Amino acid sequence: MNKIIIGIAALCLTLASCEKDNYDGPDSGLTGRFIDAESGQLVEQDIIRGTQIEIIEHGYDPVTPQYLIVKTDGTYENSMLFSNTYTVKPVRGNFINVEAQEVQITGRTTLDFTVTPYIRITNASITRSGDKVRATFNIEQNVINNVKKIGLYAHQDARVGEPMRQVAAEQQLNAVADPAHQYSLEIDVPSNSSVLKSGRAYYFRIGALIDVGEAKLNYAPAVKVDL
Amino acid sequence: MKIFRIAALALAAYLVLACSKKKGDDPTTPLPPEVEEVVYDESGCLYTSYNNLVMAGYQGWFAAEGDASQRGWYHYRNGNCGGFMPGCSAVDFWPDMQEYTQTYKSPFRFADGSDAMLYSPYDASSVDLHFKWMKDYGIDGVFMQRFVVEIKSSNPSGKRHFNQVLQNALAAARKYDRAISIMYDLSGCTPEDVAYVEQDWNELVSSFDLFNNKTHPTYVRHNKKPLVAIWGVGFNDNRKYSIANAAALIDKMKGPSKKVSVLLGVPYYWRSLGNDTEKSPALHDLVKKTDIVMPWAVGRYNNNNYANIAGAELAGDIAWCRNNNIGYVPLVFPGFSWGNLRNDPSLYNSIPRLKGEFLWKQVAGAKMSGAGSLYVAMFDEIDEGTAIYKCAREGELPLHGDMKFVGIEADLPSDHYLWLTGQAANWFHGQQGYSVQQPVR
Repeated sequence: MNKIIIGIAALCLTLASCEKDNYDGPDSGLTGRFIDAESGQLVEQDIIRGTQIEIIEHGYDPVTPQYLIVKTDGTYENSMLFSNTYTVKPVRGNFINVEAQEVQITGRTTLDFTVTPYIRITNASITRSGDKVRATFNIEQNVINNVKKIGLYAHQDARVGEPMRQVAAEQQLNAVADPAHQYSLEIDVPSNSSVLKSGRAYYFRIGALIDVGEAKLNYAPAVKVDL
Repeated sequence: MKIFRIAALALAAYLVLACSKKKGDDPTTPLPPEVEEVVYDESGCLYTSYNNLVMAGYQGWFAAEGDASQRGWYHYRNGNCGGFMPGCSAVDFWPDMQEYTQTYKSPFRFADGSDAMLYSPYDASSVDLHFKWMKDYGIDGVFMQRFVVEIKSSNPSGKRHFNQVLQNALAAARKYDRAISIMYDLSGCTPEDVAYVEQDWNELVSSFDLFNNKTHPTYVRHNKKPLVAIWGVGFNDNRKYSIANAAALIDKMKGPSKKVSVLLGVPYYWRSLGNDTEKSPALHDLVKKTDIVMPWAVGRYNNNNYANIAGAELAGDIAWCRNNNIGYVPLVFPGFSWGNLRNDPSLYNSIPRLKGEFLWKQVAGAKMSGAGSLYVAMFDEIDEGTAIYKCAREGELPLHGDMKFVGIEADLPSDHYLWLTGQAANWFHGQQGYSVQQPVR
């Protein structure tokens, strides 16, 4: 009997507490693009360890910042936010620092960032010839820092990048890039046969990393190559 | 009970009325009169914008024993070790004295026993020579440093000194068509000292007739107003004055009719409020009220880590200023040395000049990042060894007891840094043919 009473009491308490906590869920979201101020193209990103968007909800003190991730193609979308005013600032990006801004997020709010990427990879070409996959490209840098390294990355997933690759060919530059120079990198398929299986398609992507604090790589779009 | 309700209603009605009154809807309240922005006659003015200019800071704080200032070896001497004598000085570099006409015998001698001479900027002829050099080498001009603690009313000899140097400089600037402006340095100020700047500025404007385009055609204008610089706002090094004190000063100096344009000297990491910057967004509010921002870069990097440190800062600063419609002037400096000032031989050449490589790297970095003008620290700063003017070379320096003087590299001419700054000015004026490589003479 006692157990039943305790059980009922516990149930009541549970139900009551459920009702008490039953606030509306997050019904708003923030979505947008990172656009190259000069070329108008999307600024490509890493899906993991990539650029993040720091958002700080107003009205709480102290408040823990939330971080939104950005997709490989340079777009982002988060639909689980509470309607409120937020201070929004992209951080640890692959573009020249942009100012924080206050944004009223209600419903599906769109916010594009017009940015100047640290590096533009131009004239990018990825081709397979025989046993090699070869990338050629030029580097245009928008800050005076050194370019740390350039790389060609391969993965069977289209979201390939420096942190998400099965095979990589990298070159340390540690110098200011010469905009007139055609850089080239190649991956030898047979010597990576344990990873790059013939008869399958892989994605190859060119990246370059600027020597700036927590900067992330800049990329050209990934290219699908049948091996 | 009903009485309570009526009382509550009455109270509510009163509150609503009281609140709405506060919003200023009352038609009997007169609006403040519209103040028209002052318009200056800029005809004949040679420098109507800081854009594309390369200007240096001019300390002019030295005095020589025997000059008319009667301040002894002011700023050559080092009070921490007993004055100005072999083994004790404030200065690391020694001016190249060959072209000065008024010179003073210093307590120092060369190895051959001959006297080492020095100049005093209290003498018009010495300041005249400096401005002649600016013209000869193509440097646009200088900001006359005005240390508020040196010119406040409790320091009449300091004020007399800096006013005399300014008078010399205004005459020379006109004679050689060199740009000139005034930079107040707030270091060491109390809040009262900061407020005093307005009074000093008004005195200068009236006593020198500073805004007269005929008398001072080379006084720098910017955004259609005479330009004045306020240096030292937003540093977190326990200054006695606040950003709010500086903001109040600038409000007053501009006034409702926007009498002047203001260049604000801020810490290097002003935008991110990092490192030695006060973590206060009020700094950004103040920057937005000014016309140009100039971050202090001396000692923030050296030749090896310059690009890594300055690259992202320059690019971020320039983008921020463009978005906020503020002018931006990066600072460059040839090197740094203050072994004598700090009485520590390990601090000689603490940021090496590398024969101009370091200075040129910054010039190219600023230019290639998109900066439109430069501030060079400094024209005549030999205490901290950032001077670009002619200094004696290694091997041609006076003896200094168990200390030493630092010279221009022996295989360079003594005017190398003047020449190199002139080359920077050419580049910023749009002349072609310059790159990251230091130009060859």
